[in-house]
Amino acid sequence: MNVDKMHLLEESVTELPPPLGGRVKAIGFGVGILGLASASVLGYLQEDHYTRFSFSYLIAWAFFLSITLGALFFVTLQHVTRAGWSVVVRRLAEGLSSQALLMALLSLPLIVPLAMGNHALFSWADHGAVEADHMLHHKAPYLNVGFFIARCVVYFVAWILMARFFFKNSLRQDGSKDPALTLRSERGSAPLMFVYAITVTFAAIDFLMSLEPHWFSTIFGVYFFAGCLVSFFATLILTGLWLNSQGVLRGAIHVEHYHDLGKLLFAFNFFWGYIAFSQFMLIWYANIPEETFWYLTRQEGGWITVALLLIFGHFIIPFVGLISRHAKRRTKILAFWAIWLLAMHWVDLFYLAAPALASRLKDGALAAGTLPLGLLDVACFVGVGGMYLAFFAVTMQKKRLVPWGDPRLNESLNFENA
Amino acid sequence: MHETTSTSVDLKPKDGGLLAQFKNPTALAAACEKVRDAGYKKWDAHSPFPIHGLDPSVGIRPTRLPWLIFGAGITGTSVAILLQWWTNAVNYTFSISGKPFFSLPANIPIAFELTVLFAALTAFFATLGRNGLPRLHHPLFNSERFLRATSDGFFIAISSDDPGYRPDSTRALLEAAGAEAVEHMEDDSQINAKLPRPLTIVLVTAFVLGFIPLGVIARARTNTSPKPRIHVVPDMDSQPMFKAQAAFSGFSGFADQRAMRQPVAGTVAMGDRHLDEHLTQGIVDGAFATTLPSEIPMTRSTLERGRQRFNIYCAPCHGEAGYGDGMVAQRAQALGSPKWVPPTNLHEPRLRSQPFGQMFNTITHGIRNMPAYGHAIPAKDRWAIAAYLGALQLSQNAPLSAVPQEQRAALK
Amino acid sequence: MTSTVYSDKEFDNTGADPTARAPLILGDLDIQGVTDVVAGIPEQPRTSKAWWIAFGISVSLAGMFGLLTAHLIYTGTGVWGNNIPVGWAWPIVNFVFWVGIGHAGTLISAILFLLRQRWRTSINRFAEAMTVFAVICALIFPGIHVGRIWLAYWMFPVPNQMEMWPNFRSPLLWDVFAVGTYGLVSTLFWFFGMIPDLATLRDRATGCIRKAIYGALALGWNGSARHWHRYERTYLILAALATPLVLSVHSVVSFDFAVAVLPGWHTTIFPPYFVAGAIFSGFAMVITLAVPARIIFGLEKLITLRHLENMAKVILTTGSMVGYAYGMEFFIAWYSGNATEGFTFKNRAFGPYAWAYWIMVSCNVIAPQLFWFKKIRSTPWLMLIVCIFVNIGMWFERFVITVTSLSRDFLPSAWGYYSPTLVDIGMLIGSFGIFFTLFLLFLRFVPVVAMAEVKAIMPEAHIHKSSHGEEPAHHA
Repeated sequence: MNVDKMHLLEESVTELPPPLGGRVKAIGFGVGILGLASASVLGYLQEDHYTRFSFSYLIAWAFFLSITLGALFFVTLQHVTRAGWSVVVRRLAEGLSSQALLMALLSLPLIVPLAMGNHALFSWADHGAVEADHMLHHKAPYLNVGFFIARCVVYFVAWILMARFFFKNSLRQDGSKDPALTLRSERGSAPLMFVYAITVTFAAIDFLMSLEPHWFSTIFGVYFFAGCLVSFFATLILTGLWLNSQGVLRGAIHVEHYHDLGKLLFAFNFFWGYIAFSQFMLIWYANIPEETFWYLTRQEGGWITVALLLIFGHFIIPFVGLISRHAKRRTKILAFWAIWLLAMHWVDLFYLAAPALASRLKDGALAAGTLPLGLLDVACFVGVGGMYLAFFAVTMQKKRLVPWGDPRLNESLNFENA
Repeated sequence: MHETTSTSVDLKPKDGGLLAQFKNPTALAAACEKVRDAGYKKWDAHSPFPIHGLDPSVGIRPTRLPWLIFGAGITGTSVAILLQWWTNAVNYTFSISGKPFFSLPANIPIAFELTVLFAALTAFFATLGRNGLPRLHHPLFNSERFLRATSDGFFIAISSDDPGYRPDSTRALLEAAGAEAVEHMEDDSQINAKLPRPLTIVLVTAFVLGFIPLGVIARARTNTSPKPRIHVVPDMDSQPMFKAQAAFSGFSGFADQRAMRQPVAGTVAMGDRHLDEHLTQGIVDGAFATTLPSEIPMTRSTLERGRQRFNIYCAPCHGEAGYGDGMVAQRAQALGSPKWVPPTNLHEPRLRSQPFGQMFNTITHGIRNMPAYGHAIPAKDRWAIAAYLGALQLSQNAPLSAVPQEQRAALK
Repeated sequence: MTSTVYSDKEFDNTGADPTARAPLILGDLDIQGVTDVVAGIPEQPRTSKAWWIAFGISVSLAGMFGLLTAHLIYTGTGVWGNNIPVGWAWPIVNFVFWVGIGHAGTLISAILFLLRQRWRTSINRFAEAMTVFAVICALIFPGIHVGRIWLAYWMFPVPNQMEMWPNFRSPLLWDVFAVGTYGLVSTLFWFFGMIPDLATLRDRATGCIRKAIYGALALGWNGSARHWHRYERTYLILAALATPLVLSVHSVVSFDFAVAVLPGWHTTIFPPYFVAGAIFSGFAMVITLAVPARIIFGLEKLITLRHLENMAKVILTTGSMVGYAYGMEFFIAWYSGNATEGFTFKNRAFGPYAWAYWIMVSCNVIAPQLFWFKKIRSTPWLMLIVCIFVNIGMWFERFVITVTSLSRDFLPSAWGYYSPTLVDIGMLIGSFGIFFTLFLLFLRFVPVVAMAEVKAIMPEAHIHKSSHGEEPAHHA
């Protein structure tokens, strides 16, 4: 039974207070520029044609890209299913998904050197390697610099336009309260889901799987997608809780919503485990060298620790930690697991990308099985993260933090877990 | 309660408490709060469907069943892992495509299934158990009105066992709480709790008859019978075929009572032309050869070949060192099979003195339980095995004098 | 009271107006009305002629299945068309097909429950029954495929005189556990959900025998609030257990293929792809059954157009996921640079079984895309046609996977061609007989809609807090 609870919103702060927003922007830009600058200096000092820098930067960039893509999926899904419960958190997700534009800009340090002939990241971009390697030659019609950049353009255009479509509709509704706009988003959401599925899959193949161009796995796109959702739900929970702690949206996003977001975080983490296990299991069992080498390099030396960390830290421990209703309804416990899973998501991306680094460096520069961890990773993460935070604050400034005109807003405020 | 001791026919249903009907969930919830606040303990609300938000009105605390179910799930996981470990890695190790005997990735699917199975069975039965179901006999079911409780009726039932129960004041409370109708429940459990007579007879008969098959099985297990067993499924237990030294049964053979045709006169089967007796039969001048045939030089490569073949064909039973302790022998011994004839220890003095030709002959034709290998191992390899066997016997029984002078110190 | 003249306009609740939730229960049904409509079906004094005809046909087909099974067991597996290299062929196709059908039932009853999709309440009983019967049909095929079926107990870890244990590292054994658990848990879940409704039938029964049977099955349920409390909690937990279970079952079925190194079988996307395909085919089957059943039994007010439309959308979604998996397989077959893998996919599309491949693609990928049109996804008979095509397509999908890959192995000298025998075809048709026999019995004797759950989502079922004085909003 829905009673009118709009008073909850009227009593609460529904916009980012300018001083708070300003502080976030200042910190974000400050940290971001400092991080990126020190990363490029550290990268230069490596004297490896920015190879180490490229990998560290790619991991940091992919981390924030996955949050953005998770948000984009969430927004689209809420429209496809005409969901009511999630309306109060949708605006935050729309804001996160709009960072697709920022991610496109931040992809330039990866793409521009590639276009200029630097093949620090991708061995398939190296003419000499392609000529010497039959397999790379076979894949050249797909894995070549021109087509790669063309695909990137398609991905980013698709994501930016998708995010804009939903965000614009939602913002316009703030003023007009026109239900037709909801209908418009709903109509658009189903076909856009297809665009999303295809672009995310191929982006995952291009940016992460093709780091080791000999390796292949049909499930890889789904694996990356699962990670996107885990990191997004963790981010959304933390964003909501932080805003609440600053007195924003207090009462609007309440424990019932966190409970549901917690369930989704739990469910998608389970889904990640399921996909990761499926991929490992099939390759392990069939035992074909053309696939197993990928896992073998990830069991050498320090990498086995990372692999075990993922099994326990990304899957088993949070599974047990989040299973009870209690854990999902206590915001402090939930926040702990959200931070934990974000950290694990970074480890996951590190595990996907960084083992390829050894083969990209000069022989012996990085012994097999050594984890290429360093200040560079921190600098890149802080740099990209700071920019992300600042741009998010810019996006959300002077806007309502809930879809004010959504016809299902009241339903969402009323929402209770049965 | 005083009636329980009585056996007289004047048993009457006792007062089971009061049953009150309400108009809708809202009225029910309001009434529940009143009953709860009046301090009643043994009472309950009844509705055709779960009413959300009623639990606090009735005073129900969250059930602890989830913990039990969680425990059952963990038990399921552990049982599955233990089962797979014990059967496949301990009790019956069997190498399949080189997979490790105990390999977690391959054990996860079943561990998962048993987790769910244990948890689900526990959930189902624990819920019924905690609800006291099945309970087919209940004072509530004596009320005609209560039939609507599974359709569209909303009720409160207060048991007469409740310490606060007074027929008058309780009725007044329920009426004041907005009941549409209040009536007494009859508790006839003292009278009608017994099973119906025909059902009792059927159950007792079934119970008694149930012992007959058990008795038959027990008798069959403890007695021997001269009759052949009943072949429910014949599999390939009895096949019409010729059996050596047995009376023909079911198979009449050819017209001349033979089971096979003789070769055409004057022909030799392929590969059956043994011109060189030494090489193909190990016989020289009518006795077992004491030397290797000239085609088989006593060289290191012959011995290597012999060792390799020995380890493939002979070692499973005789053991790699030849002491009759191969894997097959060990397993047979562990199983304690009474029919098992242990393989011979190849270092017995009797065997040590055998000429090469005799060893070759035994490998070719088999002996006692040992099958013939003539068809499986080419003659040259059989000689190589015999040669290796000679070396093996020497190695296990060599006198110190056979060791070169400079290496003797190392052995001491 | 149960016969309602069907009219599209009167019952159209498929509107997309975002300002109000469309009602899920139509007409003037109140709580008692729901009981009357649903319980009225098993209480009909006379069974309709249509039911008897359908039942007669189904039982005959089931009987045919029984005779063919006897023939198979007596004569041996050679009566099937299975050969070397296509040793799995038709029986495993039927097995995977039926297991897949079952998955929609669990999705509707468990996953949609967790997602608070209230529209599930009208169809979940129905779909769960379908799950149980489909799993029964599925289990028959591997059961009779083992050759000496009297030794089928060797599949279970039962101590035996040979001191042998099953090989737990084999995906075929995982299947035994997965499908067995699935069958058992689905049955429990189904029965558990049915207890309150069986009590309703018990309390409405007039005959002595009906009262005794429904009474025994209802286990003495009396609708106590304390009972409901534990019941709801357990139902939620069973749903939470059934959700990963349903993922695992078809994943394990996919492992049967994907752990092998055979080109076309070994690909990492198989587990989620099989699950999506299973749900896809299962929903198509639910619609295939629901469209005629709701008209025959007058359930249009409970199983409304909106329910059917929602299911059509699920079919469109899962059908597209399956299309995505087909596409990924093709792309990676090329991208992998593995010559045999590449050949396998060319062979599927243009080889000797190309006919099966194109039936699969047109029924599975193209047919569901028709559901983009509102007209098609809200007109029951058009949905029925599309769904029958989807069922055909999903059967052929398993055929394509099993047969094309086995018949074209790495070694051209080991290639072969498979064609089914009449026994194969008869057993496939016969399995439908078993399924429909069970289903018709279910329709006749058991409440086909979860009455208690439907009632719980009706506006009358809520406690209206008078202290605020608001009018109860009509919502779904």
